[in-house]
Amino acid sequence: MVGSPVFLIAIPLLAAFLIPLLGMVWKESVRIIPGLVLAYLTFLSANLYLEVIDSGTIVETIAGWQAPWGINLVFSPLTGFLATIMTFMGFIVWLYSYRFKSNVEFEAAKKYFIFLMLLVAGSIGIVITGDIFNQFVFIEIVGISAYALTAFYTGRNSAEAAFKYLIMGSLSASALLIAIIIVYSQLGTLNMAEIAANIDNMDPQYRVIAMIFFIIGIGVEAEIFPLNGWAPDAYTEAPGPVGGAFAGIVVKAGIYAMVRMMFTLFNISGPMQILIVIGLVTLIIAETSAMRQVKLKRMLAYSSIGQMGLVLVAFGMGTEAGVFAALFLMLNHAIIKPLLFLSGSFLTFNTTDKYIKQITGMAKKMPVVSVLFALGALAISGLPPFSGFWSKLSVLTAAADENLMLIIALVLIISVVEIVYYFRVINRLFFFEYDEKISVEPHKPGINGMIALFVLAGLILLIGFYPASVTGYIDLAAKDLINTHEYIDKVLGMAF
Amino acid sequence: MDTTELIRLGVYGTSILLILIGLYAVLTKRSLIKIIIGLSIIDGGIHLLLIGIGYIKDGTAPIFSPGSENAAARMVDPVPQALVLTAIVIGFGVTAVALSLIIRLYRHHNTLKIDEIKNLKW
Repeated sequence: MVGSPVFLIAIPLLAAFLIPLLGMVWKESVRIIPGLVLAYLTFLSANLYLEVIDSGTIVETIAGWQAPWGINLVFSPLTGFLATIMTFMGFIVWLYSYRFKSNVEFEAAKKYFIFLMLLVAGSIGIVITGDIFNQFVFIEIVGISAYALTAFYTGRNSAEAAFKYLIMGSLSASALLIAIIIVYSQLGTLNMAEIAANIDNMDPQYRVIAMIFFIIGIGVEAEIFPLNGWAPDAYTEAPGPVGGAFAGIVVKAGIYAMVRMMFTLFNISGPMQILIVIGLVTLIIAETSAMRQVKLKRMLAYSSIGQMGLVLVAFGMGTEAGVFAALFLMLNHAIIKPLLFLSGSFLTFNTTDKYIKQITGMAKKMPVVSVLFALGALAISGLPPFSGFWSKLSVLTAAADENLMLIIALVLIISVVEIVYYFRVINRLFFFEYDEKISVEPHKPGINGMIALFVLAGLILLIGFYPASVTGYIDLAAKDLINTHEYIDKVLGMAF
Repeated sequence: MDTTELIRLGVYGTSILLILIGLYAVLTKRSLIKIIIGLSIIDGGIHLLLIGIGYIKDGTAPIFSPGSENAAARMVDPVPQALVLTAIVIGFGVTAVALSLIIRLYRHHNTLKIDEIKNLKW
């Protein structure tokens, strides 16, 4: 035992509190402490995860109150898997942004790192908590820090994007709170496992209403249609690494909250039409919108939304193969999309609008970054031998098992759309002449940023060539999500 | 219908009315400040609803004290009250962030009208 799951939430919160205090004594600590914290969290989470795989789920009770009465944290093969991805991606984002605003201002960097810590703490909290109200609180922590990070740049339209995000975020949080009130008034408990055990006692009418409010409440973080209007603007206006953090960390937490609600809270087994429909609509609208974008980051944001739609479709099949495919997609998206965002923001460095035409011919000036961007683009559109291929293949095989031919056809068509709009960018990047009038002035990327990109690219190639290195873990996580009874027994077992 | 039911219906009705008024303000008002006021009204309605589900007629505070050791049946549910305190704090935080964003928007655009702030697609 190297530590307790509580540390995964408590330490980043404490760090966020200490950063401004220590910053008064030693300015460099503002940059170093988040890195130390995130490195420790990754180490802790990975260790706990391996322990969980060996000896079963850890249920942490807080302040000595046993499961249904107190808040508990559940570190299972599924939540551990996601928490480990999130802490690791947090570390990568820190590594990339270590010199963020280094020669400009101290204040800006301080705020950035405080909110990054809060964002990571909240996202991990959403995943490992076992209490719906606690999850609501973490969703709000993520929300508030995400609004602040979106509004980071003063000169641009970032405040507008953040305001839009805030309106949607707080309306949906209200819906989530109403859903929690309905569940509490019907079942008298907030513990996820106890709700799952007693959900059959709930009036079907109330159950449907509560589920609708839950979907609205969580949908904003999970970027489902039509609650994702904030995403393209927020991704565009926020600083580059924040886009990476949204795609790698926040969306994963949102999707987790959504599927935990559907699979465990409402204890639905078998195919969930609602997730499949929401997912397909999100997928189609997002990918066709991505085709039309002229700004690089908006395109990446729409691509991210589309991928989340595909994840929901895979979850919606409700079979173990479907859940496996969805988790595999989430893992790949968590690695590939930050690579695209981070290398993309090197390519469009210090421009306000980040038009795709501004990267014309950049491959001749910044060859390494361009190759890494192209690697990410090929991987996310699902071309072999990169990691994205395996996850898309597993979605197709899962759909084939269930005879869902319409889904297979749509996924394949959408893949072609994805390839078209990513190749449009790659084409501009590599096969056009560099034009000083429209292209961005090249600059030398920092060494820490390059290390972060190379680590992500290495992971893409590793998973691409040896998918067996991760599939075992994903399989365990998928079994964990499907097996609701075991979850209930594990959490409530000690109390009864 | 006895008085308890009436009170309960009144509380639920008022809170739903508040939520709808707030929603109306958020969706139709063109001033940023009014939108935030709408959000706060929604929050208020939800908090009232939350307190309402813990209501018991002639309830006492959920504390075991000398003289009321056997009061468990008459105690109001403490959980909604704990939840509402947390929700109030969160609502306060969101409103503060929203108002600071409005200050930023006003400096940038010199207006509070949402129609005139549309550099991004809404």
